[in-house]
Amino acid sequence: MARKRSAHGWRRSVKLGLVTGAVAVLVALIGMVEAFSQRDIVAELLSMGHALILFVLLFGALLAARGAYSAKGLAWGGLAGLVASLVLGGLVLLGSLIPLRQVFINASPVLFQLLSFGEEPWPGIPLLCGIGFLAGVLGGTIQMLPHSLKSALGRSVGAVVGAGVLQDMLRPILAAWGPLSELSDLVFEASGLTSEGALGILLGVAGGSLVWERKGQRLLKGIQNLPHGASKALKTGWVSLLVALLLLLPQILGLFLSEVLTIVGLYVLLGLGLNIVVGFAGLLDLGYVAFFAIGSYTVAILTSPELGFFELSFWSALPVAVLLGAVSGVLLGIPVLKMRGDYLAIATLGFGEIIRILVLSDFLRPWLGGAQGIGKIPKAGLGGFEFGTPQELYYLILAGCLLVGFVSWRLRDSRIGRAWMAVREDEDVAQAMGINLVGTKLLAFATGAAFSALSGAIFATKLGSVYPHSFNVMISINILCLIIVGGMGSIPGVIVGAAALVGLPELLREFAEYRLLVYGAALVAMMLLKPEGLWPEAVHKRELHEGQDDTSRSVPAEGRS
Amino acid sequence: MKAQMTLLTCRKLTKLFGGLVALQELDLEVRKESIHSVIGPNGAGKTTLFNCITGFYSPEKGDILLDDRSIKGLLPDRIVHLGIARTYQNIRLFPNLTVMENVLVGLHPHLRAGFLGIVLGLPSTRKEERQALEEARRLLKFVNLSGKGDLLAKNLPYGDQRRLEVARALATRPRLLLLDEPTAGMNPKETQEMTDFILRLRDELGITILLIEHQMRVVMGISERVTVLDYGEKIAEGPPVEIQRNPRVIEAYLGKGSSEELSAGKIG
Repeated sequence: MARKRSAHGWRRSVKLGLVTGAVAVLVALIGMVEAFSQRDIVAELLSMGHALILFVLLFGALLAARGAYSAKGLAWGGLAGLVASLVLGGLVLLGSLIPLRQVFINASPVLFQLLSFGEEPWPGIPLLCGIGFLAGVLGGTIQMLPHSLKSALGRSVGAVVGAGVLQDMLRPILAAWGPLSELSDLVFEASGLTSEGALGILLGVAGGSLVWERKGQRLLKGIQNLPHGASKALKTGWVSLLVALLLLLPQILGLFLSEVLTIVGLYVLLGLGLNIVVGFAGLLDLGYVAFFAIGSYTVAILTSPELGFFELSFWSALPVAVLLGAVSGVLLGIPVLKMRGDYLAIATLGFGEIIRILVLSDFLRPWLGGAQGIGKIPKAGLGGFEFGTPQELYYLILAGCLLVGFVSWRLRDSRIGRAWMAVREDEDVAQAMGINLVGTKLLAFATGAAFSALSGAIFATKLGSVYPHSFNVMISINILCLIIVGGMGSIPGVIVGAAALVGLPELLREFAEYRLLVYGAALVAMMLLKPEGLWPEAVHKRELHEGQDDTSRSVPAEGRS
Repeated sequence: MKAQMTLLTCRKLTKLFGGLVALQELDLEVRKESIHSVIGPNGAGKTTLFNCITGFYSPEKGDILLDDRSIKGLLPDRIVHLGIARTYQNIRLFPNLTVMENVLVGLHPHLRAGFLGIVLGLPSTRKEERQALEEARRLLKFVNLSGKGDLLAKNLPYGDQRRLEVARALATRPRLLLLDEPTAGMNPKETQEMTDFILRLRDELGITILLIEHQMRVVMGISERVTVLDYGEKIAEGPPVEIQRNPRVIEAYLGKGSSEELSAGKIG
């Protein structure tokens, strides 16, 4: 029996090695390795491209060594790493013999140089295989570490990679803060982290993580057991710190990062809206971008002097845009009331396209500007202050996000939110509980659409112009992805999802080209590893009275009368 | 006499699925504050009857009256507002909501909070929500689920899920409660508990019960009247003792000829 399992383990390692190798070859041939290697994580030691390959090999080895202990785990991991690097080595060999580039345009000499560590194929391929084997053994070792060490390692490596990848953003921020700028010089050099800096971060984060694993629980418990006044003061402190941080963020981050923040913020607004439709009410809407477009175009038409219809101010156009968004949400909702699941998705997808084609059409050109769009949309002003630069716009978007987040949060724990969730869980039973399906669904469509239109309105004034091509179906897909990755129905999940799926690709220009691939991979990984999302919806504790403490819960008479 | 008044009346109720006659000219009278059972072999049309009464199916012919008012053709959510609630043969809770939230959804017909009231947190809305939470807790206590309110419904054991479904139905404050095989899949002890519970619903809350049930011990133990369906037709109706002796009923359950072989009262 044991021998059979062991044979199974060897076979699995070879299989996983082959799969890992194939993934590594894919990543290399689509040009990701080469594009990523332009940035060093640790200067002159580890480029992002090599880190990517290493990560793929390590992951394969981790899977291969799963469930094994002692030397066998190391051997299985090593085998998987070796097989994977042999596959990759095969690619290098093939590349040196035949001109692969005619088929795979990314199979450039530079790529093969990278894969063989700058050597000729002869010492290069064995070197690659050796490193692959070592990576596999390392993966096997990691798999066998106790949980606390494993997570400490994960966090610290994550921190180093994060610091290396985001160096361009981190350095100016650190440089602006007197004493921190010296730290910056210590940790970073021209092309990446210094070796000492990387080691420092690695050890620091790992140590911190270990200490937290040991003492964190007790600390949390201590905070929970604080006397009422103290815990309230602590909470107030946290909140005011958070508010201060939110208010100062654009100043801390500078122009470029503030621009990224505004984009993330617009997606948070969109995500919170779609979260009501898809996450709360379970209505899969793929034409969500339509309401974004309606919000944008309403503001453009009402304010732009280019068309010369109204020339209202942004603030008088905004309520009209939001209202029109809500109305169009209802109008879309009516014909699809009876549809569920896939059918609903297809119908709404069509609606999104209809709106895009309408604004693009020559027929409506005098009113909607056609392919040239509408320009000269004025900035939003507020008593002499103008929301022009990204740093100023940030506050407008922050206000929008706070408002929409607050409304979502209030609705969630109410009669309306519960009706939405009941419809999501079981439409027939919801109706049998007295929920009016028509009203409930239309309200979800209208609320989501209104949030989207708000985002669109801000988008229009941010850009100063609107074009039909800004409103393609990919926006809808992006928003849906960020909700799924963040956690369906979870309000903080939307923010996390937007930061991860919209913010990160904006920061990493290397990613931009592979955005869709990364989305796909992220979705698949989420479904496999964490289907509930990065920040799932918390279960709401509501049986006990507010302010009632734990002691009353344990009164047995309460439960068994 | 008050006890003799009829709460629900079905008149010549007919429901067709294509060529299949699911219910044929069914007449049924459910008296106020009675426990009325509907029995019959599988496919006899029992659940179809429930679906017609609660508005999920619209019958082709006939009429359904609640307190002499026709409810035929009304949407299910309207019918709940009039005081008819139900449970399902295969439990249909909202699996990813908590136990409390399931009951709170049941309270939906009695909550008035509007969009603006909720967003602004008006005092009336907050008061209503507080009262709803209070009532939900009370209902959980009534069905013996206190302390489990914050669990997800899907994580409850089977018997608890059955009782939660009843609590959710009770939250709509029904006058007539339709229970579709409430003891399905229960062991004798659980069955006895459920039977006592159904009696409590009627005796303590004054709710009229219409019951679909396969376990004859339950049917015979608590029903005042029993209606027997076979192929969508009513083949017998009366007090349990009479039904047990009825040769047509025995035939429908056990096949032709059985009634001669079996002495009366041995079903179940």
